Amino acid sequence: MHLPPWFWFAAVVLISWGVVGLLQKLSTNYISAESSLIWLVVGFFLLQPVLYPGKVLFGYSARSLVWALLSGVFNALGAWALFAAMKNGGKASIVAPLTALYPLVVVLVAPVVLHESINRTQGLGVLCALVAVVLLST
Amino acid sequence: MSVASTLRAKWFWYSLLCVLSWGAWALLAKLGSNEIPAAAMQFLFTFGALPVAVALLIARRFKLEKSLKGIFYAVANGVLSGVGGLALFAAYRSGGNTSVITAATALYPMITVVLAVLILRERLTWVQVVGLAFAGAAIVIFSL
Repeated sequence: MHLPPWFWFAAVVLISWGVVGLLQKLSTNYISAESSLIWLVVGFFLLQPVLYPGKVLFGYSARSLVWALLSGVFNALGAWALFAAMKNGGKASIVAPLTALYPLVVVLVAPVVLHESINRTQGLGVLCALVAVVLLST
Repeated sequence: MSVASTLRAKWFWYSLLCVLSWGAWALLAKLGSNEIPAAAMQFLFTFGALPVAVALLIARRFKLEKSLKGIFYAVANGVLSGVGGLALFAAYRSGGNTSVITAATALYPMITVVLAVLILRERLTWVQVVGLAFAGAAIVIFSL
């Protein structure tokens, strides 16, 4: 079986974020969701010395730098909106599966923004993944 | 709950904002990864997340609960999230299909559910079992 290179990276994402899901449950047993997000960003910063790429950072195009920074803004904004939804009367059993549908945005927008489309097999996989993630988040 | 009352509920619009934000995050991560390697992407991403954390801190008037356990778990969350983010940027950079990579990596609740059973001794619901089956099917299809 020949697996594409992204498969192994995706496996690392699944395992680390899978553990994060568990730790999230544990942390919110002791502190609020907002505090949890604040300390999570502190955790991000612990990695910065290892990640610092050096002067090469200033050689990237302004456009790519903006995209990278904005990806961080939107990720944290999404996390904040999730907490806000739960605080404003959203049941976790509805909000969690609903918000897990974000890959749908990518599927809908990718053809326009990235000029990428998916074939039938990939589409079936994406559909299975979306159904799975909704059922798993309930 | 009727559709009309759902549309009037604040939580629904916050949830929608979350979906759109995370969709934008994934797309921007892909766009940035075309040029910038994974480690530098995660480095920049962290500075992007900072203003939101600071805004929350101000909204809470700098009052944070003093639970060492809670703080430890949340900081560990950040470190592991960062590692996962790094791998996600690397996956996008590898040139695979963005929709497929986003959908595949969004399957992480599958690991959480399994760990919750193994470590927290939670019991699987039948809905989760069906979910795991769909997750397995998706992974097999993606590996074809």
